[in-house]
Amino acid sequence: MINTALQRLDRSARLLAPFVVSVILVLLSALPVYVPGYGQIAVDVGLVTVFYWAIYRPDLFPAVAAFALGLWQDILVGSPIGLHALILLLANWAIVSQRTFFQGKAFGVIWWSFSLVALIAAIASWVIVCALNTTLISPVAALFQAALTIGAFPFMAWFLARVQHAVLRPIDVDV
Amino acid sequence: MKHRAASVAKVTVPVRALLNRFALLFLILSAFAIMLLGKAETVAVERVRSGVVDLVAPIMDGLSRPIATVSTGVDRIENFFSVYQENERLREQNARLLEWQSAALALAAENSTFRKMLNFVPERGAAFSAARVIGDSGGVFVRSVLINAGAATGIERGDAVVSGEGLVGRVAEAGLQSARVLLITDLNSRIPVVSEKGRVRAILSGDNSAQPKLAFLPPNARLNLGDRIVTSGHGGVFPAGLPVGTISSVDDGVIRVSPFAEFDLLEYVRIITEFPGEVAGQIVPSTARPSRMK
Repeated sequence: MINTALQRLDRSARLLAPFVVSVILVLLSALPVYVPGYGQIAVDVGLVTVFYWAIYRPDLFPAVAAFALGLWQDILVGSPIGLHALILLLANWAIVSQRTFFQGKAFGVIWWSFSLVALIAAIASWVIVCALNTTLISPVAALFQAALTIGAFPFMAWFLARVQHAVLRPIDVDV
Repeated sequence: MKHRAASVAKVTVPVRALLNRFALLFLILSAFAIMLLGKAETVAVERVRSGVVDLVAPIMDGLSRPIATVSTGVDRIENFFSVYQENERLREQNARLLEWQSAALALAAENSTFRKMLNFVPERGAAFSAARVIGDSGGVFVRSVLINAGAATGIERGDAVVSGEGLVGRVAEAGLQSARVLLITDLNSRIPVVSEKGRVRAILSGDNSAQPKLAFLPPNARLNLGDRIVTSGHGGVFPAGLPVGTISSVDDGVIRVSPFAEFDLLEYVRIITEFPGEVAGQIVPSTARPSRMK
């Protein structure tokens, strides 16, 4: 009886892993690194995790999770609150709705798709921030960030794949 | 039992389907609503924000320490290789500073004599609070940092934040154990400043670039490259005379200031929680501000 209760607990903890790992990664990305200029173009960790889980485990990363992760990022980073919530939500929705396209595709295709998503996200958030502040600000930093995030994607995807295999492999949760 | 479960399902299934269909729309609308509430600086949004940051501040504090240690170590190694040139530079600077010291001592003596002659009543001193930077702005659109001290140590919204070099920014949100500092380079930063020599007043207005610009300059303002800019203290929100930066470029009528503070390397900051002439620690709307000029 205790055994099954523990098993159930273990199972639900594993099912929560994608979200929890994303939350921790976003927290880490908000720490100061003392590299000149990096803070302004830091890799958009939230977008990478949302993209990854939306492709590989959308069942464990629903729209609400993307929304919550975005709010978490906004609060920690200090960006206009709701901005990342919206961007990550839309990214999640866009990828999940195109899920059949991604099935069984090579990593190159996925990376290329991520580049597209990162670029659109950068432009969209730039437009939103300009509208919120009713001024035209330079989009250069946003584009730089997108480029850096695209560059970091393979490394982060590799890490997330390790997490996926280590934590989700032992339980049969595929539906 | 089974029958009951079935009848419950009969109600919940369509409701769930409906919810699923509208969940996305609902979330999108919520995101927009939160954005507008945040833009309007709603108290509830700020409370939630600083409350959450308060909760994770101890974690961020702990995690940021090793990073700071590594950064200091790297600095040390770099310094080791430039120790000779650095020594030369410091010797030269020391000689110059000694001259300044004697000048300052002479002026201080002279000043105290004049004060005595004028029966000058000294203003009460400023109160400081120190804090560590625990969170960098990972944001493209915002220039801000998180610090590990808040209302518990007397920090309030609007307080000036300085580093060893000069003005860093002001407290934008204060939680109990943490606060967010809006840097002077941020898009939303507006600071009343004055040029030290010509006493030309202006508003230092950030635009997310590394060098904020001077706005609302009087016509025919006399400013030169390299002029020191300090806070003017107008409005009573900031103390007067905090060093801000030097004029670094005049381009097409846009005058930019290069701040003294090195925002990328901030580790510790001081928060001015109290200073002579503060308007009761509140941010007073500009229209209602009492004139502090004499």
